[in-house]
Amino acid sequence: MPSFMSTVRSSVGKKFLMAITGLAMIVFLIEHLTGNFLLLQPNPEPYNKYAHFLLSFGWLLIVAELILVAFLVIHMISGISVFLKKRQARPVGYHVTGSAGKPSKKSFASTTMIYTGIVIFIFLAIHLKTFKYGPYYETTVDGVVMRDLYRLVNEVFSDPLYVGGYVVAMILLGFHLRHGFWSAFQSLGLNHPRYMPIIYGLGVLIAIVLAVGFLGIPVWIYLREVVL
Amino acid sequence: MKLDSKLPSGPLHEKWDRHKADLKLVNPANKRKHTIIVVGTGLAGASAGATLAELGYNVKSFCIQDSPRRAHSIAAQGGINAAKNYQNDGDSVWRLFYDTIKGGDYRSREANVYRLAQLSVNIIDQAVAQGVPFAREYGGLLANRSFGGAQVSRTFYARGQTGQQLLLGAYSSLLRQVDLGRVTLFPRREMLDLVVINGKARGIIVRNLVTGEIERHVADAVVLATGGYGNVYFLSTNAKNSNATAAWRCYKRGAAFANPCFTQIHPTCIPRAGHYQSKLTLMSESLRNDGRVWVPKKKGDKRHPNEIPEEERDYYLERRYPAFGNLVPRDVASRAAKAVCDEGRGVGEFGQAVYLDFADAIKRLGVDVIRDRYGNLFDMYERITGENPYEVPMRIYPAVHYTMGGLWVDYNLMSTIPGLFVLGEANFSDHGANRLGASALMQGLADGYFIIPYTIGDYIAGTELEAVSTDADAFKEAEDNVRKHIDKLLSIKGKKSVLEFHRQLGEIMWDYVGMSRNAEGLKHAIEEIRKLREEFWQNVYIPGDSRHLNKDLEFAGRVADFLELGELMAIDALHRNESCGGHFREEFQTPDGEALRDDKNFAYVAAWEYKGDGKEPELHKEPLEFEYVKPTTRSYK
Amino acid sequence: MKKMTLHLRIWRQKDANSPGKLVSYTLNDVTPEMSFLEMLDVLNEHLIAKGEEPVEFDNDCREGICGMCSLVINGIPHGPEHATATCQLHMRHFKDGDTITIEPFRAKPFPVVKDLVVDRSAFDRILAAGGYISVNAGSAPDANTIPIPKEIADEAMDAAACIGCGACVAACPNASASLFVSAKISQLALLPQGQPERKRRALRMIEQMDKEGFGDCSNHAECEAVCPKEISIVHIARMRREYMRAMFC
Repeated sequence: MPSFMSTVRSSVGKKFLMAITGLAMIVFLIEHLTGNFLLLQPNPEPYNKYAHFLLSFGWLLIVAELILVAFLVIHMISGISVFLKKRQARPVGYHVTGSAGKPSKKSFASTTMIYTGIVIFIFLAIHLKTFKYGPYYETTVDGVVMRDLYRLVNEVFSDPLYVGGYVVAMILLGFHLRHGFWSAFQSLGLNHPRYMPIIYGLGVLIAIVLAVGFLGIPVWIYLREVVL
Repeated sequence: MKLDSKLPSGPLHEKWDRHKADLKLVNPANKRKHTIIVVGTGLAGASAGATLAELGYNVKSFCIQDSPRRAHSIAAQGGINAAKNYQNDGDSVWRLFYDTIKGGDYRSREANVYRLAQLSVNIIDQAVAQGVPFAREYGGLLANRSFGGAQVSRTFYARGQTGQQLLLGAYSSLLRQVDLGRVTLFPRREMLDLVVINGKARGIIVRNLVTGEIERHVADAVVLATGGYGNVYFLSTNAKNSNATAAWRCYKRGAAFANPCFTQIHPTCIPRAGHYQSKLTLMSESLRNDGRVWVPKKKGDKRHPNEIPEEERDYYLERRYPAFGNLVPRDVASRAAKAVCDEGRGVGEFGQAVYLDFADAIKRLGVDVIRDRYGNLFDMYERITGENPYEVPMRIYPAVHYTMGGLWVDYNLMSTIPGLFVLGEANFSDHGANRLGASALMQGLADGYFIIPYTIGDYIAGTELEAVSTDADAFKEAEDNVRKHIDKLLSIKGKKSVLEFHRQLGEIMWDYVGMSRNAEGLKHAIEEIRKLREEFWQNVYIPGDSRHLNKDLEFAGRVADFLELGELMAIDALHRNESCGGHFREEFQTPDGEALRDDKNFAYVAAWEYKGDGKEPELHKEPLEFEYVKPTTRSYK
Repeated sequence: MKKMTLHLRIWRQKDANSPGKLVSYTLNDVTPEMSFLEMLDVLNEHLIAKGEEPVEFDNDCREGICGMCSLVINGIPHGPEHATATCQLHMRHFKDGDTITIEPFRAKPFPVVKDLVVDRSAFDRILAAGGYISVNAGSAPDANTIPIPKEIADEAMDAAACIGCGACVAACPNASASLFVSAKISQLALLPQGQPERKRRALRMIEQMDKEGFGDCSNHAECEAVCPKEISIVHIARMRREYMRAMFC
């Protein structure tokens, strides 16, 4: 009987962890996007109130954030490990490569997971620095002093370079999710010929919704603040 | 040389049980002190290796492929017979025995065949326990189908891949013993000589096909399960690497070769398409359950088959053999196909094919049922020919498929060299002059799982096996022999490739020692083979060296042996002045073209003893006695 | 008969320790009904006639069942036709004037032996780690003792159809052996006979697979697309369930 750690490190265990953490982060992204839609309003109050509401959870929020960080780290470690192992497993490559076509799911998305993942990580670091640890503006809503994140967002998204980078990152996130979502189910062993086509289609939908949703916000704000 | 078949006494159905009771046993603690070499990892070799290791012997298992799983048993499609009578259709051990003896045209031993029929039921049990996914009915019980030469449904199958599944079962048992440390695998090794010490088989010389090293392996007994010699015909359904070298080198060390002329031509193969053709592909005989065989009534009718109206078709098997129809045994079906093609009524580009038509079956059962039954075979046909058999009748033609002949063995499966056991297609034992469909798998597994474990123990327990090491003179002599042979082949540096020689030999064999034979042709073949052999040893060109992987060198050794074996086959065919089973002599036929057997003069096994290069082999006869079935003219009318 | 001209680029490598390279050849007498391997036979006959060493490639049954043939043809293991092993690929699927690149299966656990021949004994070692049901000859109960629903038997057969060729590894961008390993685990997990060793089998076989140095599966499903027996990645999913079950249940 192998130990728990060796199971986790095995080819199956590794993918299992990657799938669990990946799906959890997708859930977070859906929540994140839903909240961010408040940014589309010209009125800053609902968004700032929402952000303040989240902060009001105090230590609970910190725990949630730590869990997310842990998931991210696990996800990244397993991803990098898959990448390194793949290079070890085929030291001499092919001169010509191709795909046999259906039912193969090999695609731009599936073969670039490590690269899209790295870009998303870099994006994430910048994202946190810009917003979470960025300039602190204050505002008062209904007599409560709170952080004016709305203002910060508007400022940042008025920079076309930042918006451009944001859009690229979100498109890559879309590709990452397009393979990642259904792949997570497969890694968890959840594949049934009857349901897999639905899950696969759902993956495409989620990838598009999240990518377009996330990149739509800065574009919308840029248009609203700068162009119009 | 004296042939002692060691047939047990007593009533037929008690022979094997009585014999088992009489066999000596090896103490469990002593078994691990004995090493057994098993050459070949097909059904017979893998099952023998696994079972001997289960008993506690140390087993060394050799194969020429990169993995034991590649052995050619894997290609058997249709099924395996067993007298389970699950269908309640009147089957029994007796009936399977009777069908096999009759199918073999009364040229096999009653006791052997009866034992085979008895053991057939155990094989299915064993395979199911190993996880072989046989076809099943919706109720969850095993399904059966009928097969050529039988009027009951006793064939178990796993789609069109029965051989594969049974082999993978045996191979998995073999690997389990590897895991347990009882079996050591030696893949990519070719056996090139047998080492005989004090008259007993004590080891083998093999060549490591990757490094070219010549290795010596010592053992207390050698089990040969190296398959048949159909590739002597160049074009056959055998795998490209299937060869007779191990068996032939044993023959040259003193093992008698029995009934070499008994070869089976399988009726349902995909016809040849061109000169470069490297092998022929079999379509399972099970296709004849639903397909109807026909040719146009008119000679040279070049119309598309779907344009030939019903009344202008000749369903010649149904016409000639109303009782069995399209399900006549293989030899009968093959000869009938040759006959219509010789009349000029063959179809296809070369006129060397007949139609196998599923239109009626599709009409009767629907295309889905046919797809379920034969889908993979139809797909394979389409892959190879580019034609869709759901719409156009298949074209089929007979091809060499199996060799009933092989090294002579007694009831214990031991050859005329003590300690050399021969299993499966490599021996001659159970199929007489013609093998029934779905019986090869049965025999290979019966030999390996249920016979050799008993009889080899008897040999080891009852024989004084002196300590022998690989330093013994006999090992040195055998190794030198092998090295000289290889060096000689490489030193010729002639002009003609091994493939060219093989192709030429194949043509001689097919034309004169093929589906029908006559004295004049056989004499001609012997002369031609001798000439070709002489040319081979002067003009063959083998590229490369012996220190690397060199397929041409491997093939050169095999073709050199085929060039000798082919001659022995012709000699045997020439001496057997009768027609029986797969051996059809044109001089001996009934007025309506059926085989004419001569039980008075030829009811024996012809075992040939090697007498030295360039010398005539010596014939020994083992008379066949029939106490329980009376040889009759085989009729499927 | 119509003749085609083909330009071949073939990986040549003297032995495991020598470096290799692609070498170009032109063949003028290829006919459409030839199989791919027969085309290589013809090339070899030409090479032999010129006194050059022929190209070594593994093959045996030439009817798509032994799993001995390999070859990566224009980047695709077993070539462009679906559900077809190299030995059953016919030249009618190529055009006059085509350039065809032929390389060996590539993976660290499949070292090149010579030219296009690789060593796949890693597969044997994985199966030896548990790809069997422990039953000694002679101890089996009657075959019809345990009924197995037809659907289950059929699904087990789908997995059991694996020919062990290794195309799944060769096609996988990660050189993972998951499809091969899962086919055996899945077959035996489906059948009642396989239950007693179910957990042990999954754990040991996967451990051995990892030990051999195959890559991890990232669900590209390219393996399923090249598999001559069309074995589905559904079996990989089942393998993963089996592993987790063995670990936690």
